[in-house]
Amino acid sequence: MLTISNLSLTYPGYPPLATLSLGLKSGEQIALLGRSGTGKSTLLTAIVQGSPDIRLQTTRIAYLSQQPALLPWASVIDNVLLGFTLRGENIAAEDVQRAKQLLKAVDLHMLSERQACQLSGGQQARVALARVLVEDADLVLLDEPFASLDRSTRIQMAQLCQQLLPGKTVILVTHDPRDAHHWLDRAMVLTTTTLKGPFRLSDFESDDLLIQVLEDGQ
Amino acid sequence: MSRILPHVWPLVFLIALWWLVVIIFDVPHFILPAPDRVALTLLTSLPLLGGHALTTGLEMICGLMLGSAIGFSVACLIGDSKRLQKLTMPALVISQALPVFAIAPILMLWLGYGFASKLAMTTLIVFFPVTASTLAGFRAFPTSWDTTFQTLRPKASKLFWYVRLPLAIPYAMSGVRVAASVAPIGAVVGEWVGSSSGLGYLMLHANGRGQTDLMFAALLVLCVEALVIWSLVNRLSRQFDQNSPSLS
Repeated sequence: MLTISNLSLTYPGYPPLATLSLGLKSGEQIALLGRSGTGKSTLLTAIVQGSPDIRLQTTRIAYLSQQPALLPWASVIDNVLLGFTLRGENIAAEDVQRAKQLLKAVDLHMLSERQACQLSGGQQARVALARVLVEDADLVLLDEPFASLDRSTRIQMAQLCQQLLPGKTVILVTHDPRDAHHWLDRAMVLTTTTLKGPFRLSDFESDDLLIQVLEDGQ
Repeated sequence: MSRILPHVWPLVFLIALWWLVVIIFDVPHFILPAPDRVALTLLTSLPLLGGHALTTGLEMICGLMLGSAIGFSVACLIGDSKRLQKLTMPALVISQALPVFAIAPILMLWLGYGFASKLAMTTLIVFFPVTASTLAGFRAFPTSWDTTFQTLRPKASKLFWYVRLPLAIPYAMSGVRVAASVAPIGAVVGEWVGSSSGLGYLMLHANGRGQTDLMFAALLVLCVEALVIWSLVNRLSRQFDQNSPSLS
């Protein structure tokens, strides 16, 4: 599904970051851990924007970040179906039906006509997740989507991802391995010089190993 | 009542101060008439003031609408192209840098002494704040949204219509608010340079006859007109406040 060969991560105005290679098979799901500034988000952006060092077997990519990127004036259902609108596709009755089903899955079906600006942060994150799911993308990139949420909402969001993303190829960028516990098994760790792994997420139940892996190579 | 009072107190204070200055310094009424004298003139000349206020009000409202429409359209046309912005911005800035008094005689020559020249003056003074604010709105597309929207594979026209334009509207309305406060300048300056009606014309006429109280009454009516127009625009612009991306 995704092959990265010797991709050099760079961020304008900063020293070069790691040069990395990574391969993901279809349906493979990993957590990408790392400290701030190691280039995790830069890697996801590079995957979306494309690079000669990245080979993708699909053009259907979904991206969910810490900012839900919802149109505040639009209704919840319109935000979920925003991709169809922006591509100029006709929104069929079954698309609306699927959007409503997904809103039910994220427990927001009662608020489908409410404006996005009237929702709480956790509700907005769930709408953004429903939008990712309605796109039915092959590759799902999650860039710290739970970072601004409280602990209970994070657990709820992780459970929803676990239920609603089976079979998808997923990269979850996070600082906190607990976001991926009970959902993902494998983790890679990005430092400023290299990409390490794969690790078992359960290995990071003790903070000691995680700290050691994060520090090493910096 | 409690909402109006905070706005009334400064006005009461200013009028009291004005009255005190007239009494303490015994200022002649043809230099600075007392508030009661102005109020009396306002009441006795109400039909006269009303007719001229209608002319100036129409010039302000039509100029504000036309200038805002032009300013918004120009911003929409150049908003997506940095090249076009670089090409047009000097001309736009020059249109504002030239004093409106310097342009007024030329506009009178071209458009005559009637409504058209005042409309042109008001439009000219109004459009730039709207253009500048709307352009700022187009630049306000959050960079954190870029990657998300890229994965939705939008058509450029749809992205403009459904996302960028609604995001720019609160900024455009902020420009219209500024424009509403400067619209009287265009209308009144136009009337000073050449006209046969309007509050600017009336003030000039009253000045020539030493009717300072009528000048002040006309000025008060102009203030009220400007405040009413600004309040209406302000109320309208609040409808678009929710378009701010910071809410999501």
